Amino acid sequence: MADAAPTLQYVYRWDLDKTYLKTEFDTFMQLIRSAFEKAEAKRAIPGAAALLRELRAGGKARVCFISGSPRQMRKVLTQKLRLDGVEFDEFILKPNLRNMLTGRWAAMREQVGYKLPALLSGRAGLPVEVQETCFGDDAEADCFIYSLYADILAGRVPRVLLEEILEKAGCYPADAERAVSLAETLPRGDAVRRIFIHLDRRSPTARFDRYGSRVIPVFNYFQAALVLFEDGQLEAAQVIRVALEMVDRFDYTLDALRNSLQDLLRRSRLQRRTATLLGEVLERDGVPSVGALPSAREMLASFSARIQQLGDVPTLSGPSSKPIDYLAALEADLHTRSKVRD
Amino acid sequence: MREPTKTVTVAVDAMGGDHAPDEIVRGVAQLSLDASHIQTILVGDAERIGALLQKTRHDPERIAVHHAGSRVMMHEKPAEALAARPDCSIAVAAELVRDGAADALVSAGNTGASVLACARTFRRIPGVRRAPLAAVYPTEIRRGEKDDPFSLILDVGATLEVNAEDLVSFALMGSAYASAVSRNPRPKVALLSNGAEAGKGPPEIVEAHRLLASFTDINFVGNVEGIDIPRGTADVVVCGGFVGNVVLKMLEGVSETVVRLASYAYKERIIWRAGLMMLSGGINRLKEVTDWQQYGGAPVLGFDKLFIKAHGRSKARAITNACKVAAKASQSGLATQIETALQRFELARAQSLTPAAIVKPA
Repeated sequence: MADAAPTLQYVYRWDLDKTYLKTEFDTFMQLIRSAFEKAEAKRAIPGAAALLRELRAGGKARVCFISGSPRQMRKVLTQKLRLDGVEFDEFILKPNLRNMLTGRWAAMREQVGYKLPALLSGRAGLPVEVQETCFGDDAEADCFIYSLYADILAGRVPRVLLEEILEKAGCYPADAERAVSLAETLPRGDAVRRIFIHLDRRSPTARFDRYGSRVIPVFNYFQAALVLFEDGQLEAAQVIRVALEMVDRFDYTLDALRNSLQDLLRRSRLQRRTATLLGEVLERDGVPSVGALPSAREMLASFSARIQQLGDVPTLSGPSSKPIDYLAALEADLHTRSKVRD
Repeated sequence: MREPTKTVTVAVDAMGGDHAPDEIVRGVAQLSLDASHIQTILVGDAERIGALLQKTRHDPERIAVHHAGSRVMMHEKPAEALAARPDCSIAVAAELVRDGAADALVSAGNTGASVLACARTFRRIPGVRRAPLAAVYPTEIRRGEKDDPFSLILDVGATLEVNAEDLVSFALMGSAYASAVSRNPRPKVALLSNGAEAGKGPPEIVEAHRLLASFTDINFVGNVEGIDIPRGTADVVVCGGFVGNVVLKMLEGVSETVVRLASYAYKERIIWRAGLMMLSGGINRLKEVTDWQQYGGAPVLGFDKLFIKAHGRSKARAITNACKVAAKASQSGLATQIETALQRFELARAQSLTPAAIVKPA
């Protein structure tokens, strides 16, 4: 782990498959196809590359990828990121060959015992004031792992509870011990501000309510960009550049974008005044009239109409801020596996 | 997110129907996952709709919610309810279609209120005096490119008294609709009467027969009797609203009675039960083929905008399919087709030409 640069303020942690890449591995054939696919053939999720470029712009942020793909895929995956113009600082892949050779078969699929120690290890050495935003998806255990990681850093998970969680999650004892040991040594701080879950499977958003308001399930990266604008991490023009990539490169329509905005408002994951502020800034600065994106005036009128359609009814109250019951979440979200012996 | 065909927007009355809004929202949610070319606007209680969507798999990129402050209940008197609550979901949804925010309307709500809201909001196509309500009925015969088992019956209740010209316009509209939705280029159109002969039936039927027989733009096959409806002799069966409503209710009653008799037989004797169990595969297949939920709904024709009326008991599957039917009919430019057909009929009659002599439009 390299020392943090003096100006470093933020770390963005990204999962790869189904979060950045549009990967299908639900069947064995899809898994094989994905493993042998060339970089040019791999497809990114609409807007993901643009969002990453915008997040890293300015040099005050670090982008770290952590993926369950095997280390043997490093070359093709990093080549894909280069093709998309995405720069990164860290790229962690799963040691599946080693897992196989040492007979740790369960570790090849298991995520908690791999990702949690990797995240904690990545945090070591970073100043306590450096904040983080994590990006994952709804296909595996990303929400659970990122939330647990965030609460460990914040000092909200006692050692005994962490041990119980890791055991029930089916982690190998060595992985569990490593995670517990790292958790003990890290300085405490509420570092993880947001966790975005890309709903690749279009899971019901209510499924993630148990993880509290820090977790934002998003259907696309325009929604993530809007929330990051509200959080002050992106500027209006950067949000528009994400939208522009989605429209120009992925055939997104204005309807899809404005419906996405309305969805966030309905779910109370974005405030109306943020949408208004975005509109004001865009009106003042104008929208770059490039690509297939409509003019600023047309776009604002269209977005404004969707917001007005909701009327004055109160939007739904967001998830509660009560502590996460990780053992219940484990039961609900992960297949609890029997304890595996090293 | 490639969009292979032109996007169609369907306004859905989320608060109309016996199972609204839950099943309506579920139906639209499923549609959003199935059909990339259909956008929907769910009209109704935004807070309630939002809460339901949160619990359902869906694609919000294809769904908008438009708030409406009230609803018309199934048992209410249409005119009174619409007057008392102009902000009700069906009225607001119809206005969205009128204003061009949506291309078609779907509702499983109070039939009278839905038809009245459309009549007050949409423009009637020139040449249409009455807007008929259609219904679909499963038949022995399959039709069109899609092997559609359903025939269209209209009018089934929007009008009480009709004249020959009304029946002719119903025939032209029904033919255009069946052609668009069943992909049946020349659907067989018939008048419902008490005999197949041209002179059978009340004066308006006899006169309508005479007018339609001389117009070759549509495939008019003459009169059919009630027995021919389930046989599928015609793809479009035309009648007045009073007769159509009686026929439809009787057909529904017969279907329900058959199910009840089977249920009785199942409970009555073990040997009958065994027989029914042996037939269960075939019965289920039959049920699947004739399940009205696969069709979703039927249109109210004659307006410049399309309205698909779904059954009041519609559940999610029926709503999904009703929206698909609405999108398909809307994409076909149905209103224009109907207007053209009516104009050509009027022209043929006015000029006393044989319609075959009229040059068909390109």
